[in-house]
Amino acid sequence: MSYKNFFDPWIILPTILFAIFVVPVVWIISSLFGEYSDNWTHIYNYTLSNYIYNTIFIIIGTSIGTLIIGVGSAWLVTTYNFTGKNILEWALLLPFAVPPYILAYTFTGLFDSYGTANNLIRDIFSLPHEFIFFPKLRNVYGASIVFSFTLYPYVYLVSRMAFINQSRSIMEVGRTLGFSKFKVFYKIGIPSIRPAIIAGLMLVLMETISDFGAVEHFSVNTFTTGIFSTWFGLYDFHTAKQLAALLLIVVITFLVLEKYSRRKNRYSSGSNVFGPIVAEKLRGSKNFFASLFCMLPVFVGFVLPNIQLAYWALNYKLEFFNEKFITTAWNTFYLAIITAIICALLAVIINFSIRYKKNKILNILSSFLTVGYAVPGLILALGVSQLLVFMDNLLFREYLDFVLTGSLVGLVLAFIIKSFALANSTIESGFLRINTRLDDVARTTNTSGWKLLTQIHLPLLTTSFLTSMILVVSEVIKELPASLILRPFNYDTLAISTYIYAAEERMFDAAAPSIAIVGVGLLPIIILSRLTVKSRPGYRNNDSHYQSY
Amino acid sequence: MTENTLEIKNLRHSFNTDIEVLKNINLNVSRGEIVSILGPSGCGKTTLLRIIAGLEKQTGGTVNINETIVSDSKSFVPTEKRGIGLVVQERALFPHLTIIKNVAFGLKGKKDEKYKIALDLLKLFKVDGYANNYPHEISSGEQQRVAIARAMAPNPKILLMDEPFGALDHALKSELRDETKKIFKDNGTTAIIVSHDFDDAISMSDHVLIIDDGLVAQEGSAKDLIPITRKNSFKIA
Repeated sequence: MSYKNFFDPWIILPTILFAIFVVPVVWIISSLFGEYSDNWTHIYNYTLSNYIYNTIFIIIGTSIGTLIIGVGSAWLVTTYNFTGKNILEWALLLPFAVPPYILAYTFTGLFDSYGTANNLIRDIFSLPHEFIFFPKLRNVYGASIVFSFTLYPYVYLVSRMAFINQSRSIMEVGRTLGFSKFKVFYKIGIPSIRPAIIAGLMLVLMETISDFGAVEHFSVNTFTTGIFSTWFGLYDFHTAKQLAALLLIVVITFLVLEKYSRRKNRYSSGSNVFGPIVAEKLRGSKNFFASLFCMLPVFVGFVLPNIQLAYWALNYKLEFFNEKFITTAWNTFYLAIITAIICALLAVIINFSIRYKKNKILNILSSFLTVGYAVPGLILALGVSQLLVFMDNLLFREYLDFVLTGSLVGLVLAFIIKSFALANSTIESGFLRINTRLDDVARTTNTSGWKLLTQIHLPLLTTSFLTSMILVVSEVIKELPASLILRPFNYDTLAISTYIYAAEERMFDAAAPSIAIVGVGLLPIIILSRLTVKSRPGYRNNDSHYQSY
Repeated sequence: MTENTLEIKNLRHSFNTDIEVLKNINLNVSRGEIVSILGPSGCGKTTLLRIIAGLEKQTGGTVNINETIVSDSKSFVPTEKRGIGLVVQERALFPHLTIIKNVAFGLKGKKDEKYKIALDLLKLFKVDGYANNYPHEISSGEQQRVAIARAMAPNPKILLMDEPFGALDHALKSELRDETKKIFKDNGTTAIIVSHDFDDAISMSDHVLIIDDGLVAQEGSAKDLIPITRKNSFKIA
């Protein structure tokens, strides 16, 4: 519509939301232009180089690890048939359910000097107590391994999608030009999906540098641990914000690269005019090594930590569902469901506003709202804390009290900013599947925007709505640093319980909340694997009649 | 002189470019008249329909419905306030609603009254046996009947139909055209049909407008247009 009404609720609401989303981030960045304290000088002179060195080392290590595992396994499962392929195809996504900090906790339980694995080796080979077989993991190498095995599914997922959509003829032309199968892989296969791989890798790196739980457990000093210790060790909120601003600049760089690569991928993803790749059967040693290569990341990233967690849980004499665990689980699900409902509703309102009002400004605002996922939880916690203090001063100064600060409002707000993109992408694609002709017809029958939304769009969006809620719930349950900082006093969530128990080396106690987190994390994987199958060329969707009218 | 239900004066339209898709269109439609707008693909006929419906705002000119300005340079009455019905080629039935709920969707009032009106219309179009079925459970011809019934249900001032018989086979198309015309005439429905099919226009309408390159190339009663258009094989100079 060319006419505009800026007092229209369908325009005002997304605009207010945009302001709430952006203010915390702007506050963080603006700190760079403020004064620098003595603490900053100290950090700059003595510890900043260490943060930078460790962060770069982990970035390089994780990039190498995730690329080898992610691209390699994606290529194998798309191009070849080998033993266990049908299971491994989706099982390779399972480590998505294990947050890096939980893998870090279980790895220390397994591979520390007197961990389960070293004890087992000593027992089996009757070795002396001082013999240590597995090298120490509490360092940058260990952190890189943990991130590689928990985050490679990002690269696996995008690479596999890209390989699936790649034209078979490209590969066949390569073979006719005299290239071996392996040469076709790295000379043609990889370069033709490079933008997709880079996009996946940028997501991995954003997660890597945002992590707090794993690096803190391994005592590796990075930006996130630096921000945390500056805030809660030196009690210097301003310097913590300045450190956060530096980290945010790195995150924004990765984000821009990710968006750019994704856009390039749109043009480069091959046509499937000549049919998708037909998998070739592997035999003998090739079959064995292909299976092994794809099984290893699933074993290390999912099976092994779960065995360790189950071992701890069982040794806890099955006092799994004690009162504390139930309260914590309730707190977590309560928070997650509230956040998921709000996120899904906001995504519906914003996408509906864009569709109904056909307003370009709304479209731009909405794309800004989705970048919240890239902002590390710790930085969001800083920004949201400042926003709440400001609101408390503005609204409740006369009561000389903190009303919003330390309440659930901050936590929910941070979760919404962080997970809105997840809800939005699902709701947006749900709206795209609804024929716009339905809107045209409904509008001719004197249907208001509200009736169109509630009686036509919402019923057709049920699946998308629930899917988006599941994605948000699993994200909220895993989120550690924002929960740790913004939670109300004595309000524990599963992630916080896990963190506190692990910090106190009470690993038996940490097992129950960890298993619950992994269990919920499995839900989006089921959805993801279904979506991947549906995206395959030639897949027949039995529900298609539902959307085609 | 009969009262005009629709009056379009000096209508022009362009999409973000300098190229005008509609150039100075004038059209009068009397109450109870069936008008067809014919023309090749991309001539601007669907855009004209969308402008009448209020789904698009024209660059220039005036649209009047029942002697009231609904769109000009100063004012714009939104789609939902214009009192029009819309039927599209894809039928656009609401997939999650039963047939009777689809037809009753645009009606106001008590549920029983709404369903009675809807059922009467379904009977008129001989699809009352499917009232409780979902759209995907009936054939394409039956879906089109439901779509027309739904558009007629709120008793619109004008019924707009965009390629209403486009997706149907020849025999079904001919049958549905005759039935629809009879129902329209019996009910005194004012309708504008956009089509690229010459037979649709001739068999359904009282008045035909042929648009080419955004201009009215020919205009007249269906009878008068037959010899000219047949001879020219629909190529308009």
